[in-house]
Amino acid sequence: MNDFAELLNDLILSPSRNKKIDLLKNFFCKSNLKDKGWAFCILTNRMDRKFVSVKELKELIIENSDEDLFRFSYDYVGDLAETISLLWQSNNEKNTNINLHEFMEIFSNFDHKNKLKTKLKYFLDRSSENQRFTIIKILTGGLRVGVSNGLIKEALKLSGVREKSEIEEFWHGFKLPCTDLFEWLDGKKLPKYINRKKLFNSFMLANNYNSNEFKSFKTDDYIAEFKWDGIRAQIIFSEDGKIFSRNGEDITNSFCDINTFIKGYFVVDGEIVVKKNNKVLSFNHLQKRIGRKNPSKKLIEDYPIHFIAYDILFYTSVDCRALSLIERKKYLNRFINICKFSNISTSSLIKFSSWDQLQNIKETSLNNHIEGVIIKKKTSLYKKGRVVDGWYKWKRNPFSVDFIIMYAQRGHGKRSSFYSDFTFGCWVDEQFTKLVPVGKAYSGYTNDELKSLDRWVRNNTVERFGPVRSLKPGLVVEISFDNINYSSRHKSGVALRFPRFTRIRWDKPISQVCSLKYIKDLIN
Amino acid sequence: MRKTNINWLKKKREGLFCVPGNFFIDPVFPVEKALITHAHTDHARPNNKSIFSSKETIELMHLRYGESYCSDFQIARFDEKIKINDVTVQIHPAGHILGSVQFLINYKGYRLLISGDYKRTKDKTCLSYEPVKCDTFITEATFGLPIFNHPNDQNEVKKLIKSIKANVNKTHLIGVYALGKCQRLITLLRNLGYDETIYLHGALTKISNFYSKNNIILGNISNISECSKSEYANKLVLCPPSSLNDKWSQKFKNVVKGYASGWMRIRQRVKQKNIELPLILSDHADWDEILKTVNDVNPNEVLVTHGREEALVHYLTKKNFKSSALNLIGFEDENE
Repeated sequence: MNDFAELLNDLILSPSRNKKIDLLKNFFCKSNLKDKGWAFCILTNRMDRKFVSVKELKELIIENSDEDLFRFSYDYVGDLAETISLLWQSNNEKNTNINLHEFMEIFSNFDHKNKLKTKLKYFLDRSSENQRFTIIKILTGGLRVGVSNGLIKEALKLSGVREKSEIEEFWHGFKLPCTDLFEWLDGKKLPKYINRKKLFNSFMLANNYNSNEFKSFKTDDYIAEFKWDGIRAQIIFSEDGKIFSRNGEDITNSFCDINTFIKGYFVVDGEIVVKKNNKVLSFNHLQKRIGRKNPSKKLIEDYPIHFIAYDILFYTSVDCRALSLIERKKYLNRFINICKFSNISTSSLIKFSSWDQLQNIKETSLNNHIEGVIIKKKTSLYKKGRVVDGWYKWKRNPFSVDFIIMYAQRGHGKRSSFYSDFTFGCWVDEQFTKLVPVGKAYSGYTNDELKSLDRWVRNNTVERFGPVRSLKPGLVVEISFDNINYSSRHKSGVALRFPRFTRIRWDKPISQVCSLKYIKDLIN
Repeated sequence: MRKTNINWLKKKREGLFCVPGNFFIDPVFPVEKALITHAHTDHARPNNKSIFSSKETIELMHLRYGESYCSDFQIARFDEKIKINDVTVQIHPAGHILGSVQFLINYKGYRLLISGDYKRTKDKTCLSYEPVKCDTFITEATFGLPIFNHPNDQNEVKKLIKSIKANVNKTHLIGVYALGKCQRLITLLRNLGYDETIYLHGALTKISNFYSKNNIILGNISNISECSKSEYANKLVLCPPSSLNDKWSQKFKNVVKGYASGWMRIRQRVKQKNIELPLILSDHADWDEILKTVNDVNPNEVLVTHGREEALVHYLTKKNFKSSALNLIGFEDENE
């Protein structure tokens, strides 16, 4: 446990990628097999559940300390695990000698839900501050220690005999507690339960469009498709089919209205959207389906799923990833002709002869649920991640409106000392007397702008409610957003998609900000 | 303008004002007469007409501000009570940095103790804090949250020595405040047997030499400009925190960056500042020290300023102390 707590702490504080890889490699080399396996599961977030809820943790710390002191401290620190580990009072503080795997086995096999808090308290009482932090992070999931999967793969390569490509291929197959992964890395055979044909394959991702680069690109070498505002998915069509999300999570059950059963083995890449009466609906509609593991019949009827396929990775025994895009498109069409499922279609290609024309199509296309276009090189192979000269996303120009800052809240994590989350609003009507909140933004500014905003907030506070400050109306900011829709959930009646700061208008008077009517008119 | 419980103390734009004494304490704008608790720039500003403080504080202000440090000064001594208009004032050590004092102000038998910044941990570079019984106590709350619990200072400095030994080819660049923290870190290093030359950023030399002149033993210290680039490896270099990420620091290629501060308690702050080697070393009282001090001086009323007042006021009220936040302006920055 102590080694792992130290590893986490070192990872958090190490600025360089190489140092982090080094730390991981050293840990994997010196630890025992079981500890390695669990550490790997924790670092890659493979745990299938949270062992303890935020509510239970808060109850524990309030019993141990004081409700108000906890609240003040949490507002200040901005990280629950760190707040609790610093605040925890113990008469008996010393390092636990328990191994990581022993600890994990206790909590993995713990059935007495009502005794969980007592058990956790037992460990927190017998731990150092750093160990408490580690324990809470493990049990709540989501470490955020700045370790990407790519980094871990690199460390695995260095601590065994396997090539990176092999690790990449079987990465998603190993099961908790992953001790067999480390045996395999040392040269043993793959565990029998791993079936390559059931595994998620890493996605190819799009680079951002860059106008300078594109000047020299010939349009003939590229195709373009619309970028739909849905969720990316990989579907394995087979006798035991599966649907995976962008990060490889199994979402088959959530989208059970897509038929994945077919003889053979086909892996298809595309976008999940909601489509009704032949029309793709907004992301808001899709949100009703996301995360619902067993959607009701009614939900399925109200929000029917459609899969827009745009690429194919495997066509039976053919590994299409090694073929050019044009070849892959042919295989994809063959597949669509075979499967004939009504809620699966191919993404259509946009006809264009110059980049200017494509830009025009992108901006003027009437469908509201297009985020932009994706441009793909015809000769490109299907490779993992963002590949040079592969795919490019060219987003629609966002909407941009000036709003007034109304509330500010302290940020979390890295920005916990700053007022970094802002609620902005506009005038209710043309009388310019009352404001209504329209949305929340917490990105888009530079670090220096954040410091100025923070100072402005502190000097213009009207009232404080815990971490939130209500502010004197006085600061105008330009907010960009990708889309706008009606919403019954918000007081203003509208919901903005991905609002972010584009400019701080220090000089602009608040009387020049628009009213809600103007905002609503943007929807059409 | 909100009155405190004692009606002869007022908050003004310039800062805290003692009416019967006709002076300000640590004013943020120039005034006729100012009592200065210590020489940190958020407490001691230039251009006051007349200042009253310890000998060291006045000399440090002169060193920092040149001739604008004041037009006239009066040195306070620990063993004397000075009458200023209708009050008497006596200074007591605050244990914060060299020359730092508390002011005990007596008006018609009512005793007001203004602590300025203080700590209770022993520090060889200054006199230890002296608790004084009083009626109203004004305390700082820079670390006024129960999450702040400063660890043993020697153990923190041992971390630095260990890192220097483990990374012989690297330069250790440690951010420290020029006045106080820098010299305290050096004396702690010397006590633990680190006797190599310690190199300083130019901004730290003047004050360190002042400490040496005041018989605080810093051992071999040298300006980093006297060290050639080829010899940077394995050196310990102290610099102001702002220099850790500026152009100056880029000349050190193979470097471990550290920062000696009470804020290093919080990992997220450490990360924000890109610090690899956090040293939790503070010249302010932590939560337990503040509570201990309130108990020691045993006042009727506690006024809280500088930092996280809410939690402390809440806690003291719960413990049956009359307590409120002073809400002075100009002190909200999280400086030590």
